[in-house]
This record gives sequence, structure tokens and C-alpha cells, in this order.
Amino acid sequence: MDILNNIESSVGNKHLLLYIMWDLADDVSLVIVVVDVNPYFWVEKANASTGTSDIDFEQFLQHVLAFMNAILLLNHMNYLAVIATGSDSCSFLYESLAGESVSDGEGKPPSKRMNKHHTPSAKIVRGLKDFVSKELAFKTERKDNGKRYSLLSGSLSMALCYVQRILRQDPPHPHPRILCFQGSPDASQQYIAVMNAIFSAQRLMVPIDSCMVGSQHSAFLQQAAHITGGIYMKPPHPEGLFEYLMMVFATDLHSRRFLQLPRPTGVDFRASCFCHKKTIDTGFVCSVCLSIFCKHHKECSTCGASFSQNKSSFVTGQKRKLSTN
Amino acid sequence: MDFRPSRLAVVANCVEAFIREFFDQNPLSHLGIITIRNGIASRLTDLSGSPEAHIKVLRGNLECAGDASIQNALDLSRSFLCQVPTYGHREVMLIFSALGTCDPGDVLESVRNCKEENIRCSVVGVAAEIYICKLLCEKTGGIYSVAMNEAHLKELVLEHVAPPPALAEAAVASLVKMGFPQRGAEGTIALCACHREVKIGGGYTCPRCKARVCELPTECFICGLTLVSSPHLARSYHHLFPVPVFEEVPLDAKFSGIQELSKVCYGCQQLLPLAGSKVTGVRLVCPRCNKHFCFDCDVYIHESLHNCPGCESFCEPQT
Repeated sequence: MDILNNIESSVGNKHLLLYIMWDLADDVSLVIVVVDVNPYFWVEKANASTGTSDIDFEQFLQHVLAFMNAILLLNHMNYLAVIATGSDSCSFLYESLAGESVSDGEGKPPSKRMNKHHTPSAKIVRGLKDFVSKELAFKTERKDNGKRYSLLSGSLSMALCYVQRILRQDPPHPHPRILCFQGSPDASQQYIAVMNAIFSAQRLMVPIDSCMVGSQHSAFLQQAAHITGGIYMKPPHPEGLFEYLMMVFATDLHSRRFLQLPRPTGVDFRASCFCHKKTIDTGFVCSVCLSIFCKHHKECSTCGASFSQNKSSFVTGQKRKLSTN
Repeated sequence: MDFRPSRLAVVANCVEAFIREFFDQNPLSHLGIITIRNGIASRLTDLSGSPEAHIKVLRGNLECAGDASIQNALDLSRSFLCQVPTYGHREVMLIFSALGTCDPGDVLESVRNCKEENIRCSVVGVAAEIYICKLLCEKTGGIYSVAMNEAHLKELVLEHVAPPPALAEAAVASLVKMGFPQRGAEGTIALCACHREVKIGGGYTCPRCKARVCELPTECFICGLTLVSSPHLARSYHHLFPVPVFEEVPLDAKFSGIQELSKVCYGCQQLLPLAGSKVTGVRLVCPRCNKHFCFDCDVYIHESLHNCPGCESFCEPQT
């Protein structure tokens, strides 16, 4: 720190100097791509497809692979990781970091790395095939054909653990962000877990961007984009997905200030009641567990607290008035 | 050994960090600041939910003089806290650097009154352990701790951020009516009720009286309805559904038949220690989903994320 003090007097701005020393250039990013590969969603989408203005999974994958190669080309120090979100499990498909470090003494000679079987796209597709076959194994084990939601909270949690790992390494660090491709509808069972992940991303200052490939909007990802400062977009013409990705999501965080990005159209922050799951404007909140109800109940269904003996305190709070009892 | 540059500066920094962290963890709570100077306790800020207002007033009021009086501080706190509705939890945190208390009457009576009104008093001592503080905390169910150095002081102060466990008899449950306003579109022009100025764009509309407020959470200035957004409630849900504590796996354990020990941490894909490998460290397992994690992921999951990636990535079969 003595060296810094000496230089500070000549540079005149300690913060600027620290920034230069400890951070990489502004445009180095760590992009974690979370891809929804829920087979229930993609099959339903293919069956309901309305002609050329929609894309199936194969075309979607081509757009996304080209985009991921573009990220790696934009800066030679960019890192990329890909996580697949299924309906029964989630897993990492690819990490660009892993190819650089020598693990278990398996360093490949340079000629092999140029081979087309070892490009990032090839590795991702191989990882995806393994992932899908494991998912099928889950289904045949359980013999269950019910409709399933995709496990977004699991993938977001794994992505954040990975970001933490990169930030724990020696400085300088890349600037992390998460990009979600989501098509399946929101699952209300995952609300708490997704919100926990969003708050943790907010504290780490990791923006969560979303690109919706399904037909409906996702309230969870809209809130994620609003709270973490990310971008939420639903492309009106999905057949041109690659263009949207390159124009909106490819730039690093520092350069986003200079671009005209899609404006948030309005985030629905209203809560949904625990009893009927409909969105409400005003509701009653249990003071013990904070569950929300649309009308007055005798007992809280989440925590079992009974309300009947205390009707007097269900008047709304009045500022600066002493209680009369 | 003493606090540098001055005790007051160190305490002020700790209080500022506490205020920010407190509103981050408890967005629906209210906080007020009282100062004791020359034996007189005076209100610095009222009970309110905006961190910036508190920090601004705190930074403008940093002088110290005279003796401390615990009785005056407790009496003033009680007069503010008696306005809190019965479902609310009442707490006083005293950061005390004096070595005694100079009171106009019987301080033990103030302690008894606090206990009767269910006010939990905790003390963080900066100088040395004092009997009256210890008695106060023991009688009201609070925590008394004394700091040894600056870092320890910050740690002790931040320990009080998480809500304490509440006794079922003491916390009377009630249903509180709250409103969930919608955010206004960019470009709407309205008169805001909090600053009484014309504001363009943004803002939230009270669902009951349609007044515009600038930020959440707040109470509507016209009709008094508590206005919150669903993320504010969701921020506290992790206290209700905590992640189970992970258990350590001995390095020579082997799973018989079902699966081998995984080579990488499930959360961050870092290499985990295995019998015979060069990687050092500990390996932890979640008792619910049986996935293995490294030590750093365990710390991150329990302190910040509050989700186990293994439990979230596993779908329970529908019965």
C-alpha cells in the first residue's frame, strides 16, 4: 500500500489507479448462457408451429451456437459457460475456462485443439446429447408423463456459484453476466428460489438478461431484469434470432451505456395471492410468515398462525397515532 | 490499542454499514436513531424505512460530549416503540462506549418496563464489559457483546441485522392489509404525494386512493395504506425456508454401488478432494439432495444465495 501512496500523490486519484490495477479492461466479460431445453416445451412448440415465423429447436440451437462463437471472438479473454435447464435436472454443458487449465494431466497438443471435434460448438452439442439422454433415463425410471416446468432456479443457482468461483480467483476478473433463454412458462413453486437467486445476483452486481423464445412473457425474468439491471426481450420475429442476439446481448457491460437497448415495457410487481394464485392489488399479509391472501382468513395456510383473536389490529397503520388500548 | 482515527468515526462507519445491511435484509422494517449526549437522550431520526435519510442525518450530527444515561435512552426508545403495532417486533440496540451510566432515577425500573413491553434490548460495548448492560440484556432477552478491535466491532454490529427468533406467545399473528401498486409508465405526469411536486414518469399509484408515491416500501401519504412490492416480501422468505446445514464427507468414504464420489463441485464445477488426488480441501454434502459441494460454495450458499443448487435442480415426482 506504500507503493500506492507514493503513486497516488503523482497520479492524484487512488480509485482510478486501483481500478486500472485490479480490473481487466472494460470489455472483458464472463457470459453464462442458461438454455431452456425442456422437451415438453419444445415439442409443444413444434406441434403448434404456425409456419415460417417460428423456429424449432434445431434452428434455435444454430442461432445460439453462432452467437456463442461470436462472444468468444469479440475478445480473446472472454469466458463462456453454458448451462442446460431441463425439466428433471440441470447441468453444465461447456466451460471455456476448463479447456485452458490442465486437469488430471490431460493437456491436449495444439494440433488436436484445431480439430473440428474440439471446437466449442462441437463440445456443446456433445454435452447436450449426453444431457438429453440422462433426462430420458430419469423419465423412464419414474414412468411419469405429467407436464413439467423447467428448473430455472437450479440453473440460476449454479450460474451464480460459478460466478463466485471466477470472482474468487486472483484478480483481474472479467465482468460477469447471465443470459437466459427461456420458453417454458413460470412455475409458481419456484418463486421463492428464483427471487433468492435474483437478490444474490443483485448483491454481486451480475445483470440477468433474458431472451424469451416462447409465446408468453415471464414475470420472474422481467423482475430479474429490473432488479439486477439486465435486459429483457421477446423478439417479435424469432426467425431472425441471431440478429437480435448480436445487436442486443453481445456487447459487454461497459459499452451498453452507448447503445439504444430495448426499454423495459413495464414490470408487473403485483403479488399473487397464495390461495387462488391470481394477481391482486391489495391483499392481507400474515405478520408471521408474510404469505399473501386476497381476503381475510381465520388461519394462515402456510404457517398455521390463527388470526381470529386479534381483529382489532387489522386496521391499517395510521402514522403517529398511539394505540388506543 | 484503541480505535483509529477516533472511536466516534469507527462507530459511525459501523452504524452506516448496519443501516444499509438492515434495510437490505428487512425491507419492511423501520429504524430510528437516538443519541445520548451530556446525559440527555435526543431523537436524531424518527422510525422510518428509508436508509438514505438516516445516513444523511447521522453524518451531519457527529459530536460527542458528556456522560451517557441508559435510563433516558431506554425511556425515549420506549415512547417511540409503543406506537408499533402488536404484530411488530420491538428492539433496541445500544452501542455503548462509556464505562458507567449517570441516571436521574432508578435504571432498573426502566429495565423492568422494557421487559414488560416486550422490548428486546441488545448492547454492543466498545470499551469494557459493564454490569448494568449485562443485566439489561439478560432481563430483556438480548445479546451483550464487547468489541476487541475495529473489525470485531463491525462483525458484532452486523450480527444484529438478521431477525432474531421470536417466541410464539410474544408474536401475536395478525393479517395486515397491504397494497401492491403498479409502476407508472414512462412519460406520465402526476403530482407526487411525498414531495408535493410535479413528477414525470415512473412512480407508483396507490391502489386505494390513487395517489402517486415515489418509492417503495412506504405508507401512502393520503390514506395510510402500507405499499410494498412483491420482491420486498420475497426478500424475507429465505428466513422461513433455510437451506439445511451441509455435512462433511470423510475423504476415504466410498458409496457402495449406487454412485461414485463426484469429481467436481456441483455448484461451481471446481475439482473436489478425492482420496489419492493432489487437491486439498473439504467436501460437503447436502443432506436433502446428496450432491457434493466445495467449502466456498457452502459459505456462499448459506450466507448469500439461500438456495441449494442441488435441491433446486431436482424435480420431485408428482404424486
